[in-house]
Amino acid sequence: MEILSAKNLSFTYPGEDTPALSNINFSVSEGEFVAVCGATGSGKSTLLSLLKREVAPMGKMTGEIFYRSTPLSSMNHKDSAFKIGYVTQRPEQQIVTDKVWHELSFALENMGLPSDEIRRRVAEVACFFGIEDLFDRRTDELSGGQKQLLNLAAVVVTRPDILILDEPTAQLDPIAASDFITMLKKLHRELSMTIIIAEHRLEEIIPASDSLLVMEGGRIIVFGKTRTIAASLRTNPRMLLGMPAAVRIYSELAVDGEDKDVACPLTVREGRDYILNNFRQDIKVRKVPEYTHRENEAISFRDVYLRYSRDSDDVLRALSLTVYEGELFCVVGGNGSGKTTALLAAAGLRKFYSGSIKIFGRDIRSYKNGSLYSGCLSMLPQDVDTLFLCSTVADELRDAGTDVDSLPFEFPKATLDRHPYDISGGEKQLLGLAKLLATHPRLLLLDEPTKGLDAWYKTKIGDVLRSLTASGITVVVVTHDIEFAAAYADRCALFFRGSVVSSDVPHKFFAENSFYTTSAARMVRGIYDGAITADDVIALCRANGRRNESKRSLLTGVGVT
Amino acid sequence: MLKGNTTFERNSPVSVFIYYACVVVPVIFTMNPVIIALSLIGSIISSFAGREHTSVRFHIYMLILFVVMTAANPLFYHNGETVLFVMNNNPITLEAAIYGAISATAVISVLYRSRSFTLYMTSDRLLYLFSILSSKAALILTMALRYVPLYTRHTRCVADAQRAAGLYKERNIIDDIKGGMRVFSATATWALEYGIVTAASMEARGYGVGRRTRYSPFTFGHRDIVLTAISLMLFAVIITAGATGSFSFTFYPRIEASPASTLAFAAYTSYGVLSFLPAILTIIEDVRWKYLVQKI
Repeated sequence: MEILSAKNLSFTYPGEDTPALSNINFSVSEGEFVAVCGATGSGKSTLLSLLKREVAPMGKMTGEIFYRSTPLSSMNHKDSAFKIGYVTQRPEQQIVTDKVWHELSFALENMGLPSDEIRRRVAEVACFFGIEDLFDRRTDELSGGQKQLLNLAAVVVTRPDILILDEPTAQLDPIAASDFITMLKKLHRELSMTIIIAEHRLEEIIPASDSLLVMEGGRIIVFGKTRTIAASLRTNPRMLLGMPAAVRIYSELAVDGEDKDVACPLTVREGRDYILNNFRQDIKVRKVPEYTHRENEAISFRDVYLRYSRDSDDVLRALSLTVYEGELFCVVGGNGSGKTTALLAAAGLRKFYSGSIKIFGRDIRSYKNGSLYSGCLSMLPQDVDTLFLCSTVADELRDAGTDVDSLPFEFPKATLDRHPYDISGGEKQLLGLAKLLATHPRLLLLDEPTKGLDAWYKTKIGDVLRSLTASGITVVVVTHDIEFAAAYADRCALFFRGSVVSSDVPHKFFAENSFYTTSAARMVRGIYDGAITADDVIALCRANGRRNESKRSLLTGVGVT
Repeated sequence: MLKGNTTFERNSPVSVFIYYACVVVPVIFTMNPVIIALSLIGSIISSFAGREHTSVRFHIYMLILFVVMTAANPLFYHNGETVLFVMNNNPITLEAAIYGAISATAVISVLYRSRSFTLYMTSDRLLYLFSILSSKAALILTMALRYVPLYTRHTRCVADAQRAAGLYKERNIIDDIKGGMRVFSATATWALEYGIVTAASMEARGYGVGRRTRYSPFTFGHRDIVLTAISLMLFAVIITAGATGSFSFTFYPRIEASPASTLAFAAYTSYGVLSFLPAILTIIEDVRWKYLVQKI
């Protein structure tokens, strides 16, 4: 049964000429899990926010959205608030109250339910989500993942029919994101909740979804069964970039017609089967040029110990790590493993109590009066917003003294008149980089530069960082994004409990890890060696060629007639 | 969060509030040394029985406060008949000294009580009490409580970011002030942005669609009825005795107590029980628990 639909929906933001959405028609049936994908600025967020009346933006809307054949605009307040749940990408800012139990009961208090009923529902939801232990905690003490689970629970507590989620895992680390998606699957499977979710991180969402809605330039380009749509994306390279590794490999390799009888693989397991069944394994190893680092050290940690207060545990324990000049160095590792703290210590923002840190061969403590920050080192913080102080992008650049035309990358000039908080995540990263480059750093420290970005912007940031290292700047990236590290790093290091447990060039580093590695590497484990990105796998499969070419073409021939 | 105070941990904030009101009000309105002495001893014993982990420093502060207040009164007030000695042409009297000691004891006992009270009354319990008066005001207060740590943290992040970006140079005091102002203005902008998302989130979850009800994890149960009944009964005895002047006590010009009466004795006993009540309850619970452990 149809639960939500849009008819001829168009929407224009005030003061804009081009519509943000045009001629949107779709219908979602009850219990469907819809993944909405599209590049930044494709209108995903606008569409999702229009589906929830309370958060709909101001602007000119034509056409209509229906909830169970009632127009959204004529729904009563209670139904509209409680039947449609909405979660955004900001874990922190959606939280209203200071205690977990109060947050869970907030919507129910708004519903005007009696106290006993609230007590029961809150208990039920806390159990379902497994957050009983957090019940008495303060909301500001929770981790990002716990906050986002709480936000979901605080919405689900009103028993909505539909959940609308706008990039809910964009700000989370991979483990927390995976937990969040697992919870969504559980809600879908066990409570048959209808879910509409927009995401950039599609590796897990795509296999979980029933259907896929692809948007581009404010229009829906395709909408249908996930597997069919995923297989049809090979003509759209920008969209394909964000798909799971299995889909990308299939799309590149399935030359038109040849794989008609083979369903598009979505998960790592399906991708592995696809490769095993279709490709030969004569060439096992992918040849990569040997990487040699330069002699000069940019940063070196020697037995660094750091803790935040006297009674707390060490955050960095005997950390020893060397980054050489001109490298693109990626630091990966779990939450709380000390990655970010190490970066802050290298930037001179946190004091260590033992060991030494040298920046370009000089003790960090000998840089006085901010000399560390002019012409030497610069850091892009995890929350880029903290870097912005002015009311337009142009003012930001002027304030920092950046010349847009002399930047080593192309700056999105269309954003110059906008407020820095209003531009997209990728544009924010570029603006942050542009500001930092004004101080002519020789060493750039970046904390999670790809957080919340779409696949296209990730490659853009990756290319920009590459061009920076080519011009001699050393770049250290702390990231959860192992796919990014695999594709761009010169060397990688894995953090665990405050020190580095292994560091190597990516194709060795990720090929040797079996859990903490890319999905492409997991897919071809034991089949091909040293292939860590989808592109590596594609190249190896091409080089090996297909299994039983003649038999396959015969089969296809039979299939066609 | 208070750990280990088995006395009030499981009580409703309402009954606990009533108890503290009953135990503190008599101390404020009387200067009777018996009541005040009972109050001090009761509050200290209760704080130990309740395992409040009062630091040695706190006790020392209290002791210093006691000495200072006791000494200050006779230095500034020279009423009273019994002159102990003369200092700078001012008589120092016994009555004023005793008055000082007793009022100091009263103040210190109230401070000990307040400490126990604030340990128990965490923000959510206090808000619960507040929300009985106004649900909306309580919601605003809980949101405000949430913002304080958030703003503090964000300010630090902005300061760090600006410093590591080389924009906030710290070369001299003027640069420092300028940098501080930039950080402040950035935090203010961020707070407004933040507020918009929070407001949308509140509306999305139906804030303002109708009459709000109030939920709290606290219930007013059997224990609370007992605690409230005991508190109010004992308080009633004390008030009756106080109103009839049975334990009135005057210091000037000379120390005079009203004649001993049954009612005064009843009031002392009642106040004694009231003052030691947390300790008594804790000991009962401890004994009961020990007994249970033996059975297990």
